[in-house]
Amino acid sequence: MPEPCISDVDFTMFRELFYRKTGIWFEDGKRYFVDRRLSERILASGKGSFRQYYQKLRWSDNGAEWQALINALTVNETYFFREVHQFECLVNSMLEEIAQHKTPGGVIRIWSIPSSSGEEPYSLAIYLLEKWRKLSEFDVEILASDIDTEALERARAGVYSARSVQYLPKEYLLKYFTPLPGDQYQLNEEIRGTVAFSRINLVDPQDTGMFQNIDVVFCRNLLIYFDDISRRRAAETLYDALAPGGFICLGHSESMSRISSLFTLRRFPEAIVYQKPIRRAP
Amino acid sequence: MALRKATTIPLQSGAADESSALESLVRQLSGPDVEERRHAARNLANRPDAAAVLVSRLAQETEPDVREAIATSLSAIGGREAVEGLIPYLSSDDAALRNTAIEILQHLPADVASHVDGLLANPDPDLRIFAVNIIEALSHPRLETWLSDILRNDPHVNVVGAALNLLSEIATAAVLPAVEQARQRFAGEPYIDFACRAVEKRARES
Repeated sequence: MPEPCISDVDFTMFRELFYRKTGIWFEDGKRYFVDRRLSERILASGKGSFRQYYQKLRWSDNGAEWQALINALTVNETYFFREVHQFECLVNSMLEEIAQHKTPGGVIRIWSIPSSSGEEPYSLAIYLLEKWRKLSEFDVEILASDIDTEALERARAGVYSARSVQYLPKEYLLKYFTPLPGDQYQLNEEIRGTVAFSRINLVDPQDTGMFQNIDVVFCRNLLIYFDDISRRRAAETLYDALAPGGFICLGHSESMSRISSLFTLRRFPEAIVYQKPIRRAP
Repeated sequence: MALRKATTIPLQSGAADESSALESLVRQLSGPDVEERRHAARNLANRPDAAAVLVSRLAQETEPDVREAIATSLSAIGGREAVEGLIPYLSSDDAALRNTAIEILQHLPADVASHVDGLLANPDPDLRIFAVNIIEALSHPRLETWLSDILRNDPHVNVVGAALNLLSEIATAAVLPAVEQARQRFAGEPYIDFACRAVEKRARES
């Protein structure tokens, strides 16, 4: 099948639709990248032209093609210490603020969702052990949830490729991992034992109603896959799960302001995050 | 003190699975506390028998977060009762209420479709434009037919403009005769001529 032609008008229509759906805007300079990935998806979906593909996206997709398209147009790979500036923000800013409202010895809860194969919650564990000087003053619980039970099994096993750990400082790799044959690394049991994994569908109240009093949520690159209503329901769920004053970290291309007015935007030196207000007017 | 594995799910004392009895939630929905109202609105998302109460409360609620929660729940519930309750809000003077109603209706294609003909025949041109805003989100086999009918018959230039705007995304060759009729009916309107050309270009590419 010949490569589909994407005209200037097509590109404009497409980027507006993609923005409405995901909040991600492609500048003109990204045209070549978008055209290539879009053409691949048009062909892979069996559509013969941009026009047919656009109509499918706009009106008749059940979500599967959107997911494939978003995967093609975003970096969805997960690895240790991804977007590490948010972890810096956690230890330098968010936890410092949270600690002010806790009594010594109190519990701080951090929730990673979706946890996928475990890179994010384990990164949090390592980062806290290495970088947060007040860790000895509190009990910190890391909760990790995903809808995919196979991903959760992989997370519990804690075996990762060299690519997955490539951004970890060498000393952390030596300290916390055991090399395995085939260029793989297994996270030590001591760290694996600190994270509580669970299967959760974020938009199912039966699953999430139990999660309360969370101090920080990491929910990165998940909401872009949801439709408007599911996205708003997820935001309300996360809001209800957070303790007053708790924080939520989204992916770099995501904005809570587009989804819900419940949260307050906070600009810390390391990152922009969202906060559940400490008090609301009655 | 250190990292420790959570042994129990962190329940908020007394908050889990609070009585979801309809009466209690409805009472909370109109209570003085904003958080309680928002919670009640959220919890009613699983109660189709609460559609009428939510629709009614939507018009009285002034707190944006609670209104948002009511809208989310109504979008999840859907159904005839919700749609028939929301349609009158399209004529409201309250722009926020009107837009919320449009947004909810856009998420209920199956329930809204049977009302589209009535909305497009309404004497108020603003309401007919809102109807176009609603059908723009619907995946419905009659979409082109509804829009073509507007091009042939609607007397108001802004309604026809809204229909052309939508057709510039989706038009096929089947709409070309109706586009030509719209051009002739509004021959003195440069915008309509411009929009007609955009639709024709799109239709010929299909």
